[in-house]
Amino acid sequence: MSAIDEFEQAREDLEALLIEVLGSVFGEEAAPVWGQELPPGPMVVSRLAIHDEVDDSYTMVEVRTSAVVARVLAGRMLLTADPGPDDLLDALGELGNIAGGNVKSLLRHSCRLSLPTAELSPGPAEVAVDGFTVRSAVLGQVVELTVHSVDTIEGLLWPGTASEEAVETLA
Amino acid sequence: MKILVADDSKAMRMIVVRTLRQAGLAGHDILEAENGKAAFDVARAEDVDLVLSDWNMPEMTGIELLTALRSAGSTVPFCFVTSEGSDEMRDLAQQSGAMGLIAKPFTPEAFADALSTVVTA
Repeated sequence: MSAIDEFEQAREDLEALLIEVLGSVFGEEAAPVWGQELPPGPMVVSRLAIHDEVDDSYTMVEVRTSAVVARVLAGRMLLTADPGPDDLLDALGELGNIAGGNVKSLLRHSCRLSLPTAELSPGPAEVAVDGFTVRSAVLGQVVELTVHSVDTIEGLLWPGTASEEAVETLA
Repeated sequence: MKILVADDSKAMRMIVVRTLRQAGLAGHDILEAENGKAAFDVARAEDVDLVLSDWNMPEMTGIELLTALRSAGSTVPFCFVTSEGSDEMRDLAQQSGAMGLIAKPFTPEAFADALSTVVTA
């Protein structure tokens, strides 16, 4: 069974996981939402990959939310009223890291987690073809967790020695 | 006592320090490192009393840090604070000489439970 198949079967667990992570990190109650999309406008997205060592496949875990929510998150994590762009990326990267680590823990076999990366995005992403998305609302805004298989993992770093040289690109 | 917090996220390092305080474990000197290699250097130079370390970090992972410290003869109490809390990871942490693993997201109670034997207010 592929990692994506396992995640499909654990969809309810993923929804619960997102709610728990958001509730803890924001210190606010989070709730699942269905049929509600991310708002238009600037987004912050974090990405990390799970390398399935059984079939050598890669699954991307993305957490996406509006820059407004990312700013609130950064302010609360860093205890600052005016977080800068790097603070937003650090905060959402860590949110993605927490979500990714917990997503990985749903798998029943050995996998490896990349380091998270985060970036500003001009707007919501296109729907992932081979994967699925769960959404929750916190502070009245949508936060999206997408899990999908990928052929390329350009730009991601892997933890450990000489990670700078460990940028992996699959053909 | 000197507590070293190793995490590649500045935000998470701040949260760990804040959670120590919320757990009633405040009043200690806090040192920070943004990867395992830097943490190793700080731990050796400062003779720290406790290491709280992320697992996945650039340059040197938390488990590589722990192994390096033990190989260098250090017996400093070492606890992981990581997003991966599977049984497999906990077993590996324990076998490698860690005193525990606190999974993110965490609570002040989790810190108190895991650290109260080595940290006092």
